[in-house]
Amino acid sequence: MKVLTIARNTFREAIRDRILYNLLFFALLMIAVSLLLATLTVGEQSKIIIDIGLASINIFGALIAIFLGIGLIIKEIEKRTIYNILSKPVPRYQFIIGKYLGLLITIMVNIIIMGAGLYLILIINELRWGHDIFNVNLDIWLDIWKAIYLIFIELMVVTAIALMFSTFSSSSTLSAIFTIAAYIIGHLTEELRLIGNKLPDSFMKSTINFFYYFLPNLDNFNVKGKVVHGIYVSASYISLVTLYGLLYISVVLLLSGVIFQRRDFK
Amino acid sequence: MNMEDIVIKIENLTKVFKKGFRGKSVAAIKGLNLEVNEGEIFGFLGPNGAGKTTTIKILMGLIYPTTGKAWILNKEATDVEVKNRIGFLPEQPYFYDYLTSREFLRFYGQLFGLEGDELRTRMNNLLTLVGLEDAADLQLHKFSKGMLQRIGIAQALINRPDLIVLDEPMSGLDPIGRKEIRDIILRLKEDGKTVFFSTHIIPDVEMICDRVGILMKGELVNVGRLDEIMDAKVKYVEIIARNVSKEMLAYMEAMGSSVYETWEHVSIKVEDENRVDGILQLIKEGKGRVVSVIPQRETLEEHFIKKIGGAS
Amino acid sequence: MTINVKHSLVVAFPLIAALAFSIYIVQHQIAGYKGIEKKIEEFVTLPKGEYLKPAVFGYDQLVADIIWLRAIQVIGDKVVTPKGYEWVYHAMDVVTTLDPKFAYAYQFGGVTLSELGNRPDMSNMLLEKGLKENPEVWQIPFYLGFNNFFHLHNYEKAAKYMSIASELPGHPEYLPKLASRLYVQAGNPDIALEFLINMYKETDDEKVKESLEKRIKEVIIERDAIYLERGVAKYKEVYKDSPENLQDLVRMGIIKDIPPEPFGGYYYFDQSTNKVYSSVIRDRMHVYGK
Repeated sequence: MKVLTIARNTFREAIRDRILYNLLFFALLMIAVSLLLATLTVGEQSKIIIDIGLASINIFGALIAIFLGIGLIIKEIEKRTIYNILSKPVPRYQFIIGKYLGLLITIMVNIIIMGAGLYLILIINELRWGHDIFNVNLDIWLDIWKAIYLIFIELMVVTAIALMFSTFSSSSTLSAIFTIAAYIIGHLTEELRLIGNKLPDSFMKSTINFFYYFLPNLDNFNVKGKVVHGIYVSASYISLVTLYGLLYISVVLLLSGVIFQRRDFK
Repeated sequence: MNMEDIVIKIENLTKVFKKGFRGKSVAAIKGLNLEVNEGEIFGFLGPNGAGKTTTIKILMGLIYPTTGKAWILNKEATDVEVKNRIGFLPEQPYFYDYLTSREFLRFYGQLFGLEGDELRTRMNNLLTLVGLEDAADLQLHKFSKGMLQRIGIAQALINRPDLIVLDEPMSGLDPIGRKEIRDIILRLKEDGKTVFFSTHIIPDVEMICDRVGILMKGELVNVGRLDEIMDAKVKYVEIIARNVSKEMLAYMEAMGSSVYETWEHVSIKVEDENRVDGILQLIKEGKGRVVSVIPQRETLEEHFIKKIGGAS
Repeated sequence: MTINVKHSLVVAFPLIAALAFSIYIVQHQIAGYKGIEKKIEEFVTLPKGEYLKPAVFGYDQLVADIIWLRAIQVIGDKVVTPKGYEWVYHAMDVVTTLDPKFAYAYQFGGVTLSELGNRPDMSNMLLEKGLKENPEVWQIPFYLGFNNFFHLHNYEKAAKYMSIASELPGHPEYLPKLASRLYVQAGNPDIALEFLINMYKETDDEKVKESLEKRIKEVIIERDAIYLERGVAKYKEVYKDSPENLQDLVRMGIIKDIPPEPFGGYYYFDQSTNKVYSSVIRDRMHVYGK
């Protein structure tokens, strides 16, 4: 219950924060601008709209996850609000989980809004070309949700990482750099595997494989290209990477909890 | 004394902070021993930087001691459960300023597991107690410092605590604000609660504390009743009056008192306590009006200076 | 429940270890799903370099490196289908459009496409593009010469590229001599052999080296066969009869000995076709005669 109380309060804080609205505004603007860009192309307008739309959801979602995620703990320390929370009968790990859930709810609401914006633009596009709205390529339209769902799982992982960095650093700039670095590396781990496979058995190979398995493999969640090109994404793949995401989040939150439990709040 | 009667027990507590990455270690408190009894108002007195806040943070489980232990209500200070019985107001309270008073109190109430009608009644009572009924739906960032301090006290009382810990509750407040806080503390004592508060201002302690502990440079230099610790002797009594005739003032000066005249008032310093009644009588007879009579003791600053002087 | 520092560590560490192990298992499964072939197919979704360039906000080289890394890993990994090599070409084309000075990408693409993919046409397109952008890199015209010599049998062009390569800084010592000999005796297997051995030295890709080694052996067979056939011709001239076998040539002192077959087999003379063959590779190579 206390976890939910903190989560609700975190959500309330986020939706009263101006940064969130700025990011959401730009994301929706990008999706809307895709309609203009789509007029420049010949055919496949909806492909361009879906490409830009999914990319916007991913990028702005990641920005929300990183910047609000880091602020989750650091802002509490900087504004000294943490003293009053932790002097209440709230175990520290529950505080962390509550904060985390609160931001997840915020991100989910934002992603749903952005996804709805994408659909709206797609419908406007069809109507503008005088197409029968009931005769669109429904498979791709429905598969967009698979991509959005996996973007959300990815953002859950990113948020957990941002939270972890903010539990032991007191500088938001430093935590932001760490998290952004983790985000970029997380999208390049696939290269690590390919390199690892090529190497002969050696210390190097083991090291590279270690990093491949234990860095966040964010490429797992990227099915945007497949969805746009109508390549089938199986339900078993989706459940497998969901499981991966949940396991990864559990480890990161556990580590955050251990670090946070040991920390002094001067 | 019964174990149950000891509300706070601090044993040989030391906290060492490392400054910077490889900086030197600084001991914020050194070998602190302290006991606070049930039902008393305990003043934790010391100049800024003496280690008061560090001690309080250890009591609240916000930082971990380097050595030694602290117990609250017979449980270790790191025990989360014991916090159900504590109310705490941090130093210069920083709260979620995007919340309204009501949302703010509801949030902390829920952290104590309160809900429904019970929580609502409690919130309303507290808003009345601290005089913020009119600001119930105002966001905290619109609050004055005094209002923040009052809502801070309200949140500290939401769980009907047995022990109330207040870190510098009166700093930065005007005389009226301080009086309001003092009244609330006295009311809590009447309800049988234990109050532990820190301050660096002596009159705060003088007026309401049963006992005080004086902390300097991380070490407890004195514990006990204030008049036991400090020079209990009254140095002089200051009488402030109006409409006192020149002749009478001259007479008083001749009797050995020093007299200062301001635009409206006169201030008469009487060294000998036994002569105060006589002088008051004189003023009344001359149709003068007594504004105040204040016995002046040694100030804490003077006490500190004496202590530091004695130590060095 | 009391949560203190010690407890949290005791509980957390076994839990973290168990979760880390599960992550390893699940990631392994996911890697299986992704598969290598699919990865090559991903190059389909790669837009043309010209379109990609404005979209990468000036990080041309960085994006080129990422695509390059992905491509070389995929190529090095498994047997690539003929269609796969078209995507390899596409990927290399994108890489070199983003980073035209990335000379090694042309070389790698060039040699992979011609030697492993058997697509000298695409290899040449890539290398010609590279020559235009990097006229100072001797390896690019060297590879072009190689393609023209071995795959397209255009000896004149091959000789032209080799002489370009031999005038560029950093070229190996043998190159000018090789280039001039190409002009006069392009059909000589010794030249081909020299070319191949040098090519072998220039390459560090294991797969390409393997392919070149086989080719070197084939040329050795060709050279030996020509040598042995000359012996047969001489035998006929002297004895007015065809020899029974190659041993006859040695016995009659026409040749000193029969050279060893590079694959470990032996050479034999087929009276019906009047030709010498290897026991391992039945087919003779393209004739290098004019």
